[in-house]
Amino acid sequence: MLVISRGSPPRVSISEVWWSWLGAFLGIGAVALVSQWFLVGTDLVLMIGSLGASAVLVYGAPRSPLAQPRNLIGGHMLSALIGVLCFQLLHPVPGLAEAVAVASAIALMHLTRTLHPPGGATALIAVIGSAEIHELGYLYVLVPTGLGAAILLLVGVLVNNLSATRRYPEYWL
Amino acid sequence: MTDHPPNPRSRFIPELTDEDVYDALGRLPGYLDITTDDFRDLYRLAYDHALGRLMGGLKAGDLMRRGLEPVRPHWALRRAMEQMSARQLKGAAVTDAQGFVVGVLSETDILRWLGAKTFLELITQPTDRLVGWDAQLREASVQQVMTTPAVTVRQDADYEAMLSAFRGHNGRRMPVVDKNGRLVGVLARKDFLAACPFGPR
Repeated sequence: MLVISRGSPPRVSISEVWWSWLGAFLGIGAVALVSQWFLVGTDLVLMIGSLGASAVLVYGAPRSPLAQPRNLIGGHMLSALIGVLCFQLLHPVPGLAEAVAVASAIALMHLTRTLHPPGGATALIAVIGSAEIHELGYLYVLVPTGLGAAILLLVGVLVNNLSATRRYPEYWL
Repeated sequence: MTDHPPNPRSRFIPELTDEDVYDALGRLPGYLDITTDDFRDLYRLAYDHALGRLMGGLKAGDLMRRGLEPVRPHWALRRAMEQMSARQLKGAAVTDAQGFVVGVLSETDILRWLGAKTFLELITQPTDRLVGWDAQLREASVQQVMTTPAVTVRQDADYEAMLSAFRGHNGRRMPVVDKNGRLVGVLARKDFLAACPFGPR
């Protein structure tokens, strides 16, 4: 029977589910370990919520353009920059700072071809984050954001290529 | 069904069913973040673009043979056959005094006039029929025997127009006309097929 409809992609195989699970476990685990080993005793934090979203892309959809290194690193760091800037300029009006941060992060990621959905969360966290986050200032762009994304990338390159059916990245830049 | 088809130039793009799309997506391991509809739209646009690249330059006017003399409707059939056989042609365009195409005359038309569908059918008829043929051919005029109206293509006809025209009838050649309908050449099916860029050359 000829069926033509709109639909989502098919469910992936069990082995894909396993590789996604393993990649995310090792990626987020690595971020947690680095955070414990090197940053304890400092005011720095490494685990931010947007890294969980990045893990979905890097380990769950490694073919996606949104998951490639250019987008992963570029999207996070540019969005972090926008987030910190918006907090510093607009923090007297929190709602406005939040809205401008996320909207501008998306616009900048579009313009630089670095669209990475978790970047929106990274920008938002810079505004609504804890006092520790706010005190980081522009360091937030490098740690936790840049470093966290870099760890996910490193684990992605190592783990995603262990599977015969996976290849990561599709391209670097 | 899609309600925003990307309106491809070509009418010959086969529609992909869900089964086709899911089969393709299933052959690529891993999660592709694309909907079946986007997949289909991309396929159609890319296919259309490729078709334009491969077929864009193909025009009936470039593929046709020129200088093949037409025959006239009032001629005796015998005269037309002599002109065609002198040039080893199996068919000719029939034009009026102004050069407008009024029909085509082919071997098949002449066989039909003699009561046969094919050449084999003709030569396996009883021998006493032979005598009648000569008279039948001398009595007839071209316009009695020709196929009319003729299926023609315009000089600027593109790949799809030529394909549609060849699909629309059984002839192996078609008169090619200018925008006013005057004969400018004849397009042979084999020349058209040879120019199609698909398959082994």
